[in-house]
Amino acid sequence: MLLSKKKKQKLDPDILALTEIVGAKSILHYKEDLLSYDCDGFTIHKAMPKAVIFPKNTEEVAAAVKYCADRSIPFLARGAGTGLSGGAIPLNNEVIISLVKMKHLLEVDYENRQAVVQPGFVNLKLTNSISHKGYYYAPDPSSQYVCTIGGNVAENAGGAHCLKYGVTTNHILGLEVVLPDGEIIEISNNGVLDMPGYDLLGILTGSEGTLGIVTKIIVRILKNPEAKKTVLAYFDNVEDGSHAVSDIISAGIIPAALEMMDQTAIEGVEKGAFPVGHPDDIEALLLIEVDGIAEGIEEQIEQILTVCRNRNVREVKVARDEEERGRWWANRKTGFGAMGAISPDYLVQDGVIPRSKLPEVLERIRSISDEYGLRIANIFHAGDGNLHPLILFDSRIEGETGKALKAGTACLKACADAGGSITGEHGVGIEKKEEMRFIFSDEEIDAQTAIRDVFNPNNLLNQGKLFPTPSRCMDIKKVIKETAITK
Amino acid sequence: MDKHLLDVAPLTDSSNRFGNLSSNLLYPESEDEVVDIVTKANESGKKLSIVSGGTKLGYGGLKSNYDLTLSLKKFSGIVEHTVGDMTVTVKPGTTILELQTFLSRYNQMVSLDPSCPSTATIGGTIAANESGPKRLKYGSARDHVIGMRVVYADGKIIRTGGKVVKNVAGYDMNKLFIGSMGTLGVITEITLKLRPIPKHTSLVMLTVREEALDELTAFTKLIQDSLLEPVSLEILTPTMSKKLINRDEYCLLIALEDVKKAVQFQEVWIDQHKPNEAVMTVHPNPNYFWQSFNELIPNSLTDLGESTHGVLKVGTRNLDVFPLLQECARIHHEGNLKIEASGGAGHGLSTIIISGNNANVVNAIIHLQSFASDLKGYAIVKHLPIELRKELNVWGESDGLFKLFKSIKQKQDPNNTLNEQRFIGGI
Repeated sequence: MLLSKKKKQKLDPDILALTEIVGAKSILHYKEDLLSYDCDGFTIHKAMPKAVIFPKNTEEVAAAVKYCADRSIPFLARGAGTGLSGGAIPLNNEVIISLVKMKHLLEVDYENRQAVVQPGFVNLKLTNSISHKGYYYAPDPSSQYVCTIGGNVAENAGGAHCLKYGVTTNHILGLEVVLPDGEIIEISNNGVLDMPGYDLLGILTGSEGTLGIVTKIIVRILKNPEAKKTVLAYFDNVEDGSHAVSDIISAGIIPAALEMMDQTAIEGVEKGAFPVGHPDDIEALLLIEVDGIAEGIEEQIEQILTVCRNRNVREVKVARDEEERGRWWANRKTGFGAMGAISPDYLVQDGVIPRSKLPEVLERIRSISDEYGLRIANIFHAGDGNLHPLILFDSRIEGETGKALKAGTACLKACADAGGSITGEHGVGIEKKEEMRFIFSDEEIDAQTAIRDVFNPNNLLNQGKLFPTPSRCMDIKKVIKETAITK
Repeated sequence: MDKHLLDVAPLTDSSNRFGNLSSNLLYPESEDEVVDIVTKANESGKKLSIVSGGTKLGYGGLKSNYDLTLSLKKFSGIVEHTVGDMTVTVKPGTTILELQTFLSRYNQMVSLDPSCPSTATIGGTIAANESGPKRLKYGSARDHVIGMRVVYADGKIIRTGGKVVKNVAGYDMNKLFIGSMGTLGVITEITLKLRPIPKHTSLVMLTVREEALDELTAFTKLIQDSLLEPVSLEILTPTMSKKLINRDEYCLLIALEDVKKAVQFQEVWIDQHKPNEAVMTVHPNPNYFWQSFNELIPNSLTDLGESTHGVLKVGTRNLDVFPLLQECARIHHEGNLKIEASGGAGHGLSTIIISGNNANVVNAIIHLQSFASDLKGYAIVKHLPIELRKELNVWGESDGLFKLFKSIKQKQDPNNTLNEQRFIGGI
């Protein structure tokens, strides 16, 4: 039975043609093989792809894209599939172009401080490959041990250390891109800054795979700072913690990272795989890292300790050694996953607020938590105002998934109302496309889709992502949203 | 058109040496007035040039006369400064100096150091994506602009980005306008992220004879590979060095900004590791030095036409700055014209000032464009009288990307109302 079904599927001319392009070992098209591609890190929506192909070079990507474009077959690109907003979910039965076989480090030029990578190259591998010479790649999303740099470009990924060093877009020097019609373009192919013309690097980075498929990336690499010091501070009162954040920045210090966790988040990480022994009765902790020239660090650490003490810190300490520093960071970086230890399911949100509005937004999130009867943990890149409310729920309880989604939306509304944004690093994807209306008018959304039309006029590449359903179809929008929730 | 906005100033050959103007100059003072001007021009098929401080009239553009010129000069001032969030919202006609002076009261700054800060405005700086010698550490407008309000050709007001320092909602539309030379919309408001003013600054200057440039090159590599955190690694040709510090030698400018102890540590390190050949001086007043550095590049306000000046912006890989500057010195030695140049070995952007007679200036530009192209870089003309610009391709080639550029322009400004022919490929 299975065999005859397989034989039948093989007759699909598109599958045959794509097999011709990438080879039989680089395509999946049987239903059972496709199951693990029905979602990415955003697991609430699921949809099946038509096929998954694994091209080995730019030419194969271009040929596959051209094949799909010529026949109006929807397609999308996928990296490691760690995206948290559903950007790689094949809503329209897409052909998924997986870039995991294009995973090589092509060139490192230490003197000019650049490296050339293929899109499937894993973020952390870049730092690991150049650290023996004292260099590193700055953007460090929590998933950096598995996520790919191609995916980072699509999402304009951030990370804990982007407060001082910037997000992905600040580190991209050049790109090779396959456009949605199959044409290959090179933008700043020598990694030279400010190439004449409109800033296509800037527009493509963070376009969530809707404008083109990146096949080669030139990134900036940095020299490791001479010294790093990390401070951990426990606060009885979340307001004191928030004020300490502002005071540190006002003192003229730009820490490399400035992270906050609230009481519920601390409960989670302490039950997770990397407990540190944080007290369970504090309202907030700050993890602060300063780096730079060793001679200058001590003074900044002293200032930070003074700021914390002036804000009634219960306990504040400096990491004694690299081992302790590593443990603190592992505890923080695995924070999302650790929520699994205190809740069957959790939904990660990703809002941004002006730093100074933190106390009032946290208060609003508390009342959202009460209103929906769901616990919300907050993990926060406090230095740049990027808040990750983690909504804890149990999908086995009927209606609770829907409630969690609504609570998440309410958190984003709170961020937008405080003058912030609905996403700081996870992207819009399908998860937050309706919430785009919290911050953009119809005209402003149209201005963005006009740019999409320049690159992707037939909208075959990653259709249905990033932008809300046109407002004139309000009713349709409502239906889609409701169906999505019940899925 | 409202009378009070209009200033009719008949253009003459000498008052319009750089083009990009009109005898009908409009000075809106609000966004509503900008919308009004742009909408009416677009509806009536009039061509509008957009200027602000007036320093970049020699930067791109093939048209001498437009129907109207919209000047943002009087549309200036701080809209909002949130000290605790370290963000500022400002109107486009505010000069860089006004903005930095205002922020300095709060011990903050926009980390941008473009040329002619006393007259160049933030709007123009962003539209031309101007940066300065501290780009190595500071970055450029694309690293600091977090939000804008832009009036499109059809009069729509579009907000891009937001007011928070980290934001990936939708396309990063800010980037579209940075460096677009006013061809996609009129920027009416800009929100920037700020940095604290460094606690201590220093400027270390190392000079070497022309024959010893290789030693300076090697030392620059050594610094880049060291634990030092220079804010600039700017190399000056002997002519530029002569003008700024009265030494007819190559000079490496190492700016340091950090807490005092860290700066002093780096000064000592440089002293201990510098090439034998090099003479090291620590400048007594770095801020004063950078002011004079940034004001010496000719622009359309300061270039009064007694001789011909051309200014190039050259982009190469970081270390290709050295062969480029050597080539500049070589051309200078030929004696037909004067070339003063500086280049950032940490970011690969160089500024070349060429002075001489028309034919020699044009020939040197063509030569340097091809030299940069051989280095897989580019050279664009930042400043030159319009008649000479017409003899050159001031933006260089755009190869395979032009189709996309043109299509972007077509979407945003289908009637070519805004800054027609100002940008690459005649966009």
